[in-house]
Amino acid sequence: MADRAASRFPQSGGWLLVFAAAAAVVVYPLFELARELVTVGRSSIADTFAAGGVWVPIFHTLWTSVVATAVTLTLATAVALATASFSPRKRILVVVGMTLPFLIPPFVSAMSWVAAYGPGGLLDDAFGLSLPGLIGSAGVVTLLVVNATPLAYLIVLSSLDARTERDLVRAARVSGATPWEALRTVTLPMLRPALIAAGAISFIMSANSFGVPAVLGTPAGFGTVTTRIYQDLVLSADPAAFDRVLVLAAFLAAATIVVIGTADVHSRGRIRLRVEPSGPRRGSSGGTRWSARLITAYVMATGLLPFVALVLMSITRGVGLSPVPTNWTLGNFEEVLDSGAVGAFGTSLMLAVTAATITLGLGSLLVVLERRRRSGVGTAAALSFAVPGSVLAIAVLLAYGSVLRDTVLIILIAYIAKFWALAHRPVSGSADAVSPEVFGAARLCGATPATAARTIVIPLLRSALVTGWLIVFVFALHELTMSSLLHGPGNETLAVSVLNLQQLGEPTVTSALAVLLTVGAALAAIPLLLLRRAPVDAGRAQ
Amino acid sequence: MRPRRMAVPIALLIAITAACSAGGGESLRIYTSVTQGTVDSVVEGFAADHPDVAVEVFRAPSGELAARIAAEQRQGGIGADVLWLTDPLSMQQYEAQGLLHSWNPDGSSIIADEYRTSTFWGTRLLTMVMVVGDGIDPPATWADLTEERFEGRVAFPDPGFAGSSLAVLGYFAATDGYGLEFYEALAANGATQVNAPGEVVTGVAEDRFDVGITLAFSARNAIDNGSPLAIAWPTDGAIALYSPMAIVESGGDLTDAEAFLEYTLSFDAQQRIADSGWQPILADIEWEIDGLQVTVDWEILFDRQQDLLAAYRSIFGG
Repeated sequence: MADRAASRFPQSGGWLLVFAAAAAVVVYPLFELARELVTVGRSSIADTFAAGGVWVPIFHTLWTSVVATAVTLTLATAVALATASFSPRKRILVVVGMTLPFLIPPFVSAMSWVAAYGPGGLLDDAFGLSLPGLIGSAGVVTLLVVNATPLAYLIVLSSLDARTERDLVRAARVSGATPWEALRTVTLPMLRPALIAAGAISFIMSANSFGVPAVLGTPAGFGTVTTRIYQDLVLSADPAAFDRVLVLAAFLAAATIVVIGTADVHSRGRIRLRVEPSGPRRGSSGGTRWSARLITAYVMATGLLPFVALVLMSITRGVGLSPVPTNWTLGNFEEVLDSGAVGAFGTSLMLAVTAATITLGLGSLLVVLERRRRSGVGTAAALSFAVPGSVLAIAVLLAYGSVLRDTVLIILIAYIAKFWALAHRPVSGSADAVSPEVFGAARLCGATPATAARTIVIPLLRSALVTGWLIVFVFALHELTMSSLLHGPGNETLAVSVLNLQQLGEPTVTSALAVLLTVGAALAAIPLLLLRRAPVDAGRAQ
Repeated sequence: MRPRRMAVPIALLIAITAACSAGGGESLRIYTSVTQGTVDSVVEGFAADHPDVAVEVFRAPSGELAARIAAEQRQGGIGADVLWLTDPLSMQQYEAQGLLHSWNPDGSSIIADEYRTSTFWGTRLLTMVMVVGDGIDPPATWADLTEERFEGRVAFPDPGFAGSSLAVLGYFAATDGYGLEFYEALAANGATQVNAPGEVVTGVAEDRFDVGITLAFSARNAIDNGSPLAIAWPTDGAIALYSPMAIVESGGDLTDAEAFLEYTLSFDAQQRIADSGWQPILADIEWEIDGLQVTVDWEILFDRQQDLLAAYRSIFGG
């Protein structure tokens, strides 16, 4: 344990920074929110839960989130394991393909599915086919899975990239284990921290989703906690409605913390598998062809076709016209450019880069520090991620509104509070792969802590670091609710343009903006996805 | 990594300094949920008359706007001088809480009684009509939506999400021959709630529905873009709701705010509102309507909104 030799000063300085940031960005706003909740009083809380039918949306949120998380984890793990066995070139294609649904802004994801698979949609027009059950609970769960899977996939894959124990699987197989036994006894235990991280993020994302249940649930009368919160928010000039918003948001956060806290406790046991690094990996092409085909089909169905439907809608003159050349126009894109979206894009881009960089810095620092001593900071960050965006924005306004109202900084504070967990979890899901022995060996050979970090830790975690940054960047770029509530004159974000266009009720123009945004996010994401390649070998060379 | 870690405290420091030095400006602040083009045009006209007044606009959808106001109320006061909202319900709340300036603006007396109180005044009308798809024999009255030929083919916005739809709910609930039984009949006929008036238009245009209840503004926009739709103006009256403006009572100087409100009720601003696609509140500005318009009793709706929404949810869910 040579890192014990490192002086205490940087450690305590690190803790100070993490605690100060957590206190300022997460704890203080949530504390202000809790104070409001206390003034709400027991009778309003009782009224909220006694009111007609509030348990129904609560039940809907819980079961859809649990089912969506389970399906997401299974799917993401299966695809990540398959990806790891592909040749490098195929790998890149799969990673980019799997990430595509994540780059389509969530505010159009449900709409693009209706346009692709709904009655009167693309498939219906072409082949008379539409997806039964798209409207209703089955559609809600499907879209929650589609939205969460890219993140879970990237997290699990990053963890696989960081593993030096992979050859254990081969060892197990040589020793006579069936593939299933090898998976159960070697691979899954090895991936446990990553699965917990991916599960936590999937669950919170699903429980927090508003756009999916609003578009696909509402027509079937299938409400969730988030749609109920928004309905009360519309009426929140009435103090009783505002109180209900606070109570429901607190309930959602508390339920999430029970789930995440349990997962966090179970992740504390360290992984028993430890072996010496060994020779380089080899991609095996035999037997992977079928999985490649399945993955291709999945990418086509969840990413490509909805995106094509979106593009077709964006170049059609009016909604409901067939997307044939005579109805094509670039007018929707012109309308987007006229709407001030370009300036707003600059603000959003700046916010996204800053938020991603800061949260990744804080998240990584926390991971490094928590190798020694556990703290509640990770759970607190999960809590502020679990509070619905509208309510978190209220919390930040309560805390900082009197000083920072209308500034970009207040949006940034909300973003850091919301996205810290998104940067932290992918890194923490891979961090245990860096064994203290490797770090210690470098230190024994005379490397300074900085050199050891640069040559060993960062290369091993590069994939996870890139993943964490990318996830926060895209989330912040797509963010609607918080910035539309917090922005001021001159710092309008993309959200403001999106909501303006949505209010006009012209989905063709909204689609045009979404297409531009998807392309923009892809331009940022694809180089980063390429960067996360060839992860472990650098570490091995040491 | 170290320089990045320092980014938080440094950014905090810079921004706090900037915020403190930027504060204290004397500008007129408007919070609104009205469509951007309309706000921009009225502000532009006001600026031409009052070049010395700096105007700042915060625009957000109704839910986000109400949330921001609620948070600011609990933390030192609403940050707006003027509120310009989409429907009167929130205004009635603010009025009841004594937050609004009570006065008598120039030009307000020609506004019809049902579109004003002593603290807020209608600026434009939003009209809920029926929209029908290509080749559909249009319904004549609202009640026709429950006919068998429209079974499973009717869409309308969820009143829990859209203020315009809540106004419709309020109107039917208080109107003889309709009542909540109308919603029960719609449900029995397989009508579908969606989350916004625009989605009704999209759904009918894409042939997922034959007919829907929506804003005339949204339907006209789609028709202008070539969508295969037509407006069916109910013979028993399209339902009009008004978009009110008020001044927040701050104890300070309200001259600029009063000037802005009076300007919005002026002929010039009303013409701008009409040009942006909304029916002006002043009857003497040219505006074509295709039939009878009926209004909502906002006093009653204000008192009954919770019960109505609960009753509605027991029928349609959500």
